[in-house]
Amino acid sequence: MSGVATSAPPATAKLVVTGVSKTFSSRRGTVDALRDVDLHVEDGELVCLLGASGCGKSTLLSIIGGLEAASSGTVLVEGEAVVGPGSDRGMVFQGYSLFPWLTVAENVAFGLEVAGWDRARRAAKVEDLLAIMSLTTFADALPRELSGGMRQRVAIARALAPEPDILLLDEPFGALDAQTRRHLQDFLLTVWRRTRCTILMVTHDVEEAVYLSNRVYVMAPSPGHVAEIVDVPFGPDRGPLVKRDRRFLDLRDELGDLLG
Amino acid sequence: MIGVHDAGVVAVEPPRQKSAATRGRAQSPLWRIGGTLDVRWRIGLGALGVLGVVLAWQAAATSIASPSVLPTPAATVAALGALWSDGTLAEATVASTQRIAIGFSISVAVAVVVGVAIGTFVSVEGFFEAQIAFLRYIPASALTPVFLLWFGIGESPKIWLIVAGTVFFNILMMADVARSVPKELINAAYTLGAGRLTVLRRVVLRHAAPGLIDAARVNLAAAWLMLVVAELLAAQSGLAFEIIRAQRFRAVDDMFGLLLVFGVIGLASDLSLRWLRNRSAPWLRA
Repeated sequence: MSGVATSAPPATAKLVVTGVSKTFSSRRGTVDALRDVDLHVEDGELVCLLGASGCGKSTLLSIIGGLEAASSGTVLVEGEAVVGPGSDRGMVFQGYSLFPWLTVAENVAFGLEVAGWDRARRAAKVEDLLAIMSLTTFADALPRELSGGMRQRVAIARALAPEPDILLLDEPFGALDAQTRRHLQDFLLTVWRRTRCTILMVTHDVEEAVYLSNRVYVMAPSPGHVAEIVDVPFGPDRGPLVKRDRRFLDLRDELGDLLG
Repeated sequence: MIGVHDAGVVAVEPPRQKSAATRGRAQSPLWRIGGTLDVRWRIGLGALGVLGVVLAWQAAATSIASPSVLPTPAATVAALGALWSDGTLAEATVASTQRIAIGFSISVAVAVVVGVAIGTFVSVEGFFEAQIAFLRYIPASALTPVFLLWFGIGESPKIWLIVAGTVFFNILMMADVARSVPKELINAAYTLGAGRLTVLRRVVLRHAAPGLIDAARVNLAAAWLMLVVAELLAAQSGLAFEIIRAQRFRAVDDMFGLLLVFGVIGLASDLSLRWLRNRSAPWLRA
């Protein structure tokens, strides 16, 4: 193993998940979606939840986002218990979550309006984010006029606008073609470097997980649990060249084997 | 010579003169299933359809039926002109349209509030489900005698009949519209810090707007149905009342003229609601 992390969270952790379980009950009986999951993300880290479909990784992200309630266990953000959704945990979904009746700029401004920012501050923040996302020329376009990759960039900008403590990404590039996906991965690295935000990202793509994150939580199904925690030895200023690094290839193969 | 086709090389054998082999079924432009129609064809076919109906009417009126049973199109238009010049038509149209406007507005207002609440909150759905499932099966026209008893023979029984005859359909359809707002949009708004009221106003109602207008458009036809029921029974004015009066004088040309007016008003309201629906949904426009 190139780097197995300890699971005890340091005191500085931005997000701490402790003993989270989730049970869905239906007429046919109960299903354990998650059992006793522990994880943490430190300030400024980019951490991936990696797993095949059905391992509960999206459910876990929904619980952290406050969109679903855990059956047991706690989620703490900066030491405070999560009881529901809020702009301190900005979320980006796989797709189709932009408001189709609002322009790109209006979509990005949504969270700021809700938070009561005045017009001038709002405009400045939106302009700033659109510049980071190279979307300035599309400020007045409707989402349906954009490509899939551009839409996800808008969604990331929108989630970043209210200055969240942590950004939660739920397979944000899952619906994109391979080339756009690579492009947006580099893009996310740039955003991460420039904004120094804390990111927790769900993915089923091994290479994506190794390429982007500081640490990977490998999840396994039935019931969903953390099977392995793997540290990634590359810093935030990594680029596409890292994909040829011996350690990158080893890690990728190792994680691929873990997923089965 | 099959397969080799270099530029500049002239084919040695001339192409076969008779039927060259083809692959696949050729598609007919007019009869293709799920095809698209050229604008000129669309207008032309529409005009042909209207002309066909008018000609069939003319033929039936002149050959089969006597003018006292079925008036010719020309006689109908003439009768309509006479009704217009003596002021009857304007008065009747205003009276009927006013009842529809008031009654259907109340119905839509109630249905938007109750329907959207049902489609949004499971608790409201649980509270209303049984009542509405029961009430919707009572034919509203059967309430006519009851409403006459309660409200007398003035305007209010007619208006409440229109409300009763449309509000349940409006509620059920509008609840479905509110229910079909994508969960992703609601979740996105929540994670951007929006509260329940903001989500309801800025996401649910906004996304539902075109669907709500569409539901109203469809149910407007039922409002006219209830209006006729009300005016046939007890009224001193209105389009259906005028049809009844024309029947007393055996004036079939007047009756047909008034029927045409119903069609024209219905078409106009349908087109304007469609326009409003499209205005409210920039993201659905092709």
